[in-house]
Amino acid sequence: MSEARAGMLLGAAVVLAGLFGPWVYHADPYAIHPAYALQAPSRHFPLGTDELGRDGLALLLAGGKATLVVSLPAAVLAFVTGLAYGLLAGLGPGWLDKVLMRLLDVVLALPSLVVLIFFASIVPLNNASLVLLLGFISWPGLARLVRNETRAQRGRDFMLAARQAGAGPFYIARVHVLRVVAPVLVVNATFLVGDTIFALSALSFLGLGLQPPQVSWGSLLQSALDIIALAPWWLIVPPGLMIFAALLAASLTGRGLLRR
Amino acid sequence: MLRRLLSSAVSIFLLVTLVFFMAHLTPGGPAFSILGQKATPESVAALNARLGLGAPLLKQYGIWWWHLLHGQLGYSYLLNRPVGALLWDYEVNTLVFYAIAICLSTMLAVLLGAAQGVWHGRWPAGVIGVFQLVFYATPPFFTAAILVLCFAVGLHWLPASGIGNPRLAHPGIGTFAAHLVLPVITVMLLTVPMLSRYFGEAVHEELGKDYVRTAQAKGVGFAGILFRHVMRNALRPLVTMLGLSFPYIFTGGVIVESVFNYPGLGWLLWRSALGRDYPVLIAIVLLIGLLTVLGNLLADLVNGWLDPRGQYE
Repeated sequence: MSEARAGMLLGAAVVLAGLFGPWVYHADPYAIHPAYALQAPSRHFPLGTDELGRDGLALLLAGGKATLVVSLPAAVLAFVTGLAYGLLAGLGPGWLDKVLMRLLDVVLALPSLVVLIFFASIVPLNNASLVLLLGFISWPGLARLVRNETRAQRGRDFMLAARQAGAGPFYIARVHVLRVVAPVLVVNATFLVGDTIFALSALSFLGLGLQPPQVSWGSLLQSALDIIALAPWWLIVPPGLMIFAALLAASLTGRGLLRR
Repeated sequence: MLRRLLSSAVSIFLLVTLVFFMAHLTPGGPAFSILGQKATPESVAALNARLGLGAPLLKQYGIWWWHLLHGQLGYSYLLNRPVGALLWDYEVNTLVFYAIAICLSTMLAVLLGAAQGVWHGRWPAGVIGVFQLVFYATPPFFTAAILVLCFAVGLHWLPASGIGNPRLAHPGIGTFAAHLVLPVITVMLLTVPMLSRYFGEAVHEELGKDYVRTAQAKGVGFAGILFRHVMRNALRPLVTMLGLSFPYIFTGGVIVESVFNYPGLGWLLWRSALGRDYPVLIAIVLLIGLLTVLGNLLADLVNGWLDPRGQYE
């Protein structure tokens, strides 16, 4: 089995579990059973319970849904923003390219998590604001790539011919640039999904992402870490493995496609 | 060289401007940040007048530069200290932590990368490849949680957080080192996969070049070729990569410092964000940006020293 196919299968499994898991496993993630607090996995609670006696598996599935519902649209938004910025710099006049790339250098000098933490402390945190935040902060890498690929196409004969034939910038972007850079775009869109899942999980882990009572993989890990002295491995390993699986799926798929 | 310095200067100028606008986005403006919850409309107006915040944007921008150049970074109302002095304390902890983590990461990455490059296509390289793939996908907070679970909670070998025993006034170097072990390992597991993969590919590529064949023909042993020629050439892209990956390393650093309650800049950034302590947040964002620009510049300078050819371009 090729790397890309393994990655896609794993990714599909994670997404299916996250989006449709709550339909299959019916337990209420927010129901509290104080009598059953902090139990190790058993027949009644396949992944144990947390310190409030909430069902671990139900929490994991709810957390997956919350994570994916925010990070997938954010990846789409980042993709569109990065593509537009990159095309503008790549096809626009030389001075515009210089200005836009200079700005991009400065934006890239700030680690995205640091910028995310800063803005997360300013805006009210909910699904919509987090989609916008992650979307508008994760695009610079893609923008630079699109711009470089576009510039590389610019000097080629078919571009010159198209321009001489009177093709407008939108036509050139659609027909001559996008079709050529499409493979690179697909690979980087995959990496982008991994990036936004990581960023959201990291933010939620730091308490600056999805807010309680909503749970996410990152916040589940954080609350398990608060009581780590009691060694609740069944609360730490599952959410960690889910994030790991999502990131591994993204990087396997991207790497596999890159090799083609 | 002059061009490179000039370009860094422009980057720094743009960065300071960008952060100025970011500071303006904080709710209620800077006066609210300074007065905190005790802010009344009258006290905000009075403070705005005193600090020149009622002035036009352009004048405020000038004041912003003036204050920066004089090292005035504002006042932390959460920790009740001037931001400049505060940053310095945490910066020292972070520098010690990063210096150790980056040195060890680089050494391990060079070792693994060289092995991967030399044994390209055979099983040792495959094993290293799997290690890289797995740890590249493992988020640092998960690595940290597992390490704490195993070595601090389970085996009681190492402390789980902090930098020293709070009951001792001077914890001593041994205690400090023990507290650094798990955070440093976490950062290494984050950076080594990327760096070693990069270095491994560079070594593999260099080994296929003509000068290697020439050296072999001349009778130089394999160790001589590897250490005298190949590694030195493959090191240059690694240094560039290290300079470029500073933001990436710092991202890991924020998470690692918060998991282990290690009082460095990343930890301070996190606490200030949770406490809405905007003067500190702004100062840290600015500082990190500056360090990144300087990191890239430093990488270029080291490369110029490793390969003198570049200087004559």
